[in-house]
Amino acid sequence: MRRMGGCLAFALALLARQATAQTRTDERWPLDSGGSVRIMIPLGSVRVLGWDADSLAVSARLERRAGRFFAAGDVHVRKLGVDTAAGGAGADLEVHVPRGATVWVKAATANIDVEGVDGTLDLSSEGGSIRVLGTPQDVTAETMNGSVELAGGTARARVKTVSGDILLRGASQDLGATTLSGRIVVRAAGWQRGGTGVQRGKFESVTGDVRFEGEVGRGGVVELESQSGTIEVRVPASTVADFDLLTIGGRITNERGDAQPKQRATGTGQELRFSSGPAGSGAQITARSFKGPILLGPK
Amino acid sequence: MMCPHMEAKLNEYVDGALAAPDRASLEAHLAECAGCRAAVTELRSLSAATATLPRSIEPARDLWTGIAGRIGKRETGYGKRFSRGALAAAAVLVIALGVYRLLSPFTAQYRPAEGGVGWAAVQADVDRATEELSRILAAERDRLRPETVALLERNLAVIDAAIAESRAALARDPANAELHQLFSAAARQKVELLRWAARAAAS
Repeated sequence: MRRMGGCLAFALALLARQATAQTRTDERWPLDSGGSVRIMIPLGSVRVLGWDADSLAVSARLERRAGRFFAAGDVHVRKLGVDTAAGGAGADLEVHVPRGATVWVKAATANIDVEGVDGTLDLSSEGGSIRVLGTPQDVTAETMNGSVELAGGTARARVKTVSGDILLRGASQDLGATTLSGRIVVRAAGWQRGGTGVQRGKFESVTGDVRFEGEVGRGGVVELESQSGTIEVRVPASTVADFDLLTIGGRITNERGDAQPKQRATGTGQELRFSSGPAGSGAQITARSFKGPILLGPK
Repeated sequence: MMCPHMEAKLNEYVDGALAAPDRASLEAHLAECAGCRAAVTELRSLSAATATLPRSIEPARDLWTGIAGRIGKRETGYGKRFSRGALAAAAVLVIALGVYRLLSPFTAQYRPAEGGVGWAAVQADVDRATEELSRILAAERDRLRPETVALLERNLAVIDAAIAESRAALARDPANAELHQLFSAAARQKVELLRWAARAAAS
C-alpha cells in the first residue's frame, strides 16, 4: 500500500512538472551588420537588444502549448518566431541583433521591447505594449490598445495606437503620433541633450489628451490636433515661434505671455495668434481643437 | 484540409523563399497531403490575382466600381480562406489609400469660396469607404479575438460620435475651413481604424 502511494505521488509530481515544463532554445547565426531580422511572436514577449557583433542570437523560452520555435534565412535576412495555435500559450524571446540591423516585429498580444538598435524598426502588436530605448534611425510602431514609449531619440518616428497611450521622449527630429482615445505626451529634448529640438511634429487624437513639452527646432513645425481632448503646449520662454491656436467649442488659456485669445470674427470659437519674435523667423506651432481646451504655457 | 501548422511554410514555398532542405521536405509532404496541395494551388492563384491589381491608384470617382466588383466575387468554404483574406486585405489597402489620398490634398487646398460640391463628394466617398471597410470587417470579424472586437466597437462608437459632431457643426457653418480639417482628421482616423482591424482579421 505504501509502495502504491509512493508511485502515485511520483506520477503526480511528474505530471505537475510536465504541466509547467518549458522548452528553452538557444541559437546563433551570422548576420550582416546592416542585415534584416523579421520576428513573429503571437503571445508572450520579445526583447530585442542591439550589440556590437555581426551575428544574431536567440534565446527562446516556450511554455508548454506555446507552439514551435522556427527560424530560416541567411546572413542578410533572417526570419524567426513562434508558431502558436489558437488557444496556445506564450513564449519569451530574447534576440540579440547587430546594432545597425533593420528589425521587423509582428505580435498579437506579445509585448515588444527594443534596446540599443540604431537601424530601422517596424513594430506592430495588436494588444501588447511597445517600448523602444535608444537612437534608432527610423521607428514605426503600431498597437491597438497597448502603450508605446520611445525614449532616447530618433531621426523619424511614426506611432499609432487606438486606445493605448503614447510617450515620446528624447532628442528626436521628425515625430508623428496618432491615437484615437489614448493620451499623447511628447517630451522633446533640445541642444542640452544633444538634440536640435523637434523639426517636424504632428500629433493627433480624437478624444485623448495631447501634451507637447520641450524644444522646437529653429524653423521647426509642430501641429497638434484633437477633437475633444485637452491640448497642452509648453515650450521654453526663449522659443521664437509663431503660435496659431484655435478651438471651436473649447477655451484657450495662455500662461506664456500677455497675448489673450479672442472670439473668432467668423463662426464660433476662440483663437490666439501671435509671434514671440519677428513673424516668420522662428518655429511654427499650430493647435486645433473641436471642443477641447487648449493651454499654452512655459516649460 | 490544409495542415494548420503549415500556413507559414506554404506561403514561403509559394513565394520561393523557402531554403532548399525545407523545400525538399515540404515537397515530400505535399506529395502525401491533398489539403496542403490544394492550399498551394489557392496561394498560387492568389499570387496571380494580386499581381493583376494596379500598382498605383488614383483617387478617381470610379475607384469603387473595381473594388466592389472584386469584393463581390467573394468565395466561401474552406480552402478559399487564403484568397478571401488576402483579397480583403488588398481591397482594404486600395480603399484606404484612395480615401487618404483623396482627403489630404483636398483639405489642404480647400477653399470655401469654391463651393460645397467638391466637399459633398469627399464626404460621400468617406461614407462609401467606411461602408465597404465595415462590410469587409463584418465578414472577417470572427477571426479577431473577442477583446479586439470589443475594443474596436468601443472606439468606433467614440469616433462615430466625433464625426457626427463635426458633421452637425459643418451643417451650421459650412464655410469653416477648420471644421473641414477636423472632420477630415476624424474621418481619416475611422478609415485607419477600420483598415487596421480588417487587415488584422485578414492576416
